[in-house]
Amino acid sequence: MTAWRAAGLNYINYSTIAARLLRQALKPDFKVEAMKREASQIKFTPWIDGKSQKLPKPKSS
Amino acid sequence: MIGRFGAMAPLVAQNLQQSQQQRGMATLKHISMRLKSVKNIQKITQSMKMVSAAKYTRAERDLKQARPIGEGSKLFYEKAEIESPVEKPKKLIIAVTSDRGLCGAVHTSIVRQIRGELSNDADNIKVVCVGDKSRAILQRLYSKNIILVANEVGRLPPTFNDASKLTAAILNCGYEFTSGKIVYNRFKSVVSYSTQEMPLFSLESVQAAPKLSVYDSLDADVIQSYLEFSLASLLFYAMKEGACSEQSSRMTAMDNASKNAEEMIGKLTLTFNRTRQAVITRELIEIISGASAL
Repeated sequence: MTAWRAAGLNYINYSTIAARLLRQALKPDFKVEAMKREASQIKFTPWIDGKSQKLPKPKSS
Repeated sequence: MIGRFGAMAPLVAQNLQQSQQQRGMATLKHISMRLKSVKNIQKITQSMKMVSAAKYTRAERDLKQARPIGEGSKLFYEKAEIESPVEKPKKLIIAVTSDRGLCGAVHTSIVRQIRGELSNDADNIKVVCVGDKSRAILQRLYSKNIILVANEVGRLPPTFNDASKLTAAILNCGYEFTSGKIVYNRFKSVVSYSTQEMPLFSLESVQAAPKLSVYDSLDADVIQSYLEFSLASLLFYAMKEGACSEQSSRMTAMDNASKNAEEMIGKLTLTFNRTRQAVITRELIEIISGASAL
């Protein structure tokens, strides 16, 4: 068992954090380009029994 | 007089409602208004086409770089000959679409494929919708099967961070699937894409795979880490393929819309000119017959 898994992370979290640190450690001229790749807009809404669980509620049919 | 305009009715009725077509002047005004709006629509569709053409070239360039990531992850499943267990069919389907419409049938073809699966076996399948479009279509009939919806997808090109966030969300949503698949549109060329599936497997079914021994020095921890990573890279690949197909499809759709608008403008201009000529002729007749009656 690796230390990060014992701390409750999975590989995805672990590698995301590693990637972020690497991007921050880059030289300024490479950093700008690399930081663009870090952007992420995606949002999640869990659904239970056909209803979304978060507000704003998407209009139901 | 009404009889003379009656001969033109079929032409005008194509474009205008029957009630609007009362007299020459009114029709003329309506036609010119309609003509203007169709011209504006054409301008919009043309500029949308230009925008998606620019986005498409970028998406295709990105896709070329992303393909090896997806192919590599897919090959692992093929080489290890993993089979999903038959007795516990808890399935997960990930629909890779986006929030944006006006792009032909890219979203509907994905949803159609999923609906086919759901109509056979609605109890054991859960769906993760990536993008509002698949959610909007699927929630009508199968809202109970949706467990997670991701939106804000498709405005910007997908990044690996998007994919890893999505993977984390899927892994944390508490649904233990034994097998699954990603349904996505595989980009073939500017004019064609095909809806395809990529299989996903759980840790148990990977460990039970007959040919896993072709891979060296594997323990449970490595396999688990790899599965998490491969889910992220498969999703990233699927999102890239989806984005590229969507942009190319939008390009074609907007091109067709502009062509149709062009055709409509031609017809409307013809109708407009004929109607105007008819009005002029009528006025001339009125003047001449008035003059001759004096």
